[in-house]
Amino acid sequence: MNEQKEERLLDLLCKRVSEGLTADEQTELSELETTVDSPVDLHSLELTAAAIATSSVRSDEQMPDHLKAGILARADEHFAEQNKASDRVVRTNVENEKTSMPIWGWLGWAAAAIACIALAVNIYQTRSDDRATGSPTPTPVPQIVSPAEKRQQFLAGATDVIRADWGQGNMKDLTVGGDVVWSEAKQEGYLRFRNLPQNDTSQYTYQLWIFDESQDEKTPIDGGTFDVNADGEIVVPIDAALRARGAKAFAITMEKPGGVMVSKREKVVALAAVKPSTA
Amino acid sequence: MNSVPVRILVREASFYTPVANKLALFSLSKRRSRVPQAILKRIADGEQDAVQDCLKAYGGLVWSLARRMLRNTDEAEDAVQEIFVDIWKNAARFDASQASETTFVAMIARRRLIDKIRFAQRRISADSLEDALVEPAGSSDKEMQTLVEGREAMKALGKLRPEQRQVLQLSIVHGLSHQEISDAIGMPLGTVKTHARRGLLQVREILGYGKLAKEVTA
Repeated sequence: MNEQKEERLLDLLCKRVSEGLTADEQTELSELETTVDSPVDLHSLELTAAAIATSSVRSDEQMPDHLKAGILARADEHFAEQNKASDRVVRTNVENEKTSMPIWGWLGWAAAAIACIALAVNIYQTRSDDRATGSPTPTPVPQIVSPAEKRQQFLAGATDVIRADWGQGNMKDLTVGGDVVWSEAKQEGYLRFRNLPQNDTSQYTYQLWIFDESQDEKTPIDGGTFDVNADGEIVVPIDAALRARGAKAFAITMEKPGGVMVSKREKVVALAAVKPSTA
Repeated sequence: MNSVPVRILVREASFYTPVANKLALFSLSKRRSRVPQAILKRIADGEQDAVQDCLKAYGGLVWSLARRMLRNTDEAEDAVQEIFVDIWKNAARFDASQASETTFVAMIARRRLIDKIRFAQRRISADSLEDALVEPAGSSDKEMQTLVEGREAMKALGKLRPEQRQVLQLSIVHGLSHQEISDAIGMPLGTVKTHARRGLLQVREILGYGKLAKEVTA
């Protein structure tokens, strides 16, 4: 019986890397992977197929110039977005801040306040002078929308939102609250956390994984990495590397800085399973 | 809480170990040292200038894979743009101890291309199928300038039985489904599947990608 299952698992793995699987086959594969212990894994087969695919590629082959230009334009967008998202964590619950402060702390704030007043007076006078001499109107500063505000806008606009609450991972001393919201149509979603500890970014980062119907459960979709630098409730936008279809669960792991391609899943901070009724 | 993901996580944790990983893949990283490895690291570090180098190094590879597998120029162009975004997003996950940058890039590209073929439910046209069948098998074409990884894979393919090699090339290189291969060359579907599976596993062993799982389970 086990041999039959292992044979079937191998068939599905090979089909997966050569032509892909139907949703039913993917479900079957996921089930077999949890019950059959096979020495063959998907990642090694994917690398093998990739190596075979390169065997017919000429080293002097070039893509069309207009396509290169299009990709470079997308690079501008991608890196601009990446820079904007570099600090993706926004504190939305300022009530958690401590209110007690030593006297020298207050003195520091008082000095800063005086400096701000002086700066404001200076700016006011400068602008008055500008208006008097007919100088052009300053460029308006674009409004910055926080992830928490984006989440609200997303919830108001999306019609197919699924929601799942965070539950415990394999770190027994850590209980994280909050939820995940995700729209398959928009391929957009947000993570909301309470009690997620701040991380030492030189040691590790947090990484999201999306388990869906299109991917092997061994290699869920990478949902992006993020760091936490504040207490209280935080909201993080999901940055899925691939299109997710039929999301079943979400997991947060702790990984080396920069994230990983395949998680060893040694430190699972939180798990959120989508209940059938919300999918 | 659904218990399924937890069970998978426990199994995964026992499946990979860093020590085994390093031992198993030492020979791979040593063998592939001639290939430039720094482009993806630079992209992962946010160095946008590296995109030009990435396009120069891997543009032809990705374009070639997309053209062969999709066989429609418009679809291929769309796919190539999406693949490069995937590459930038996944650049930080590249691990030089597991594979070369070229193989990693090809892996990311194939994931996207298979996805596109599957969800578009593309049926290959008679003309393009003919192209795939009459194209030289590759292993005997000494004049063709190929990538370093490609030459290694070509050698591995050369060790397979001819029918295994043909099935793998039609499947992996040209993106034909097993049923399409069966229809095209008149081979029973079950035989196509068997050749595809045995050939893939054999190449995996020859290229050294199977060592990790073996050492972990030994």
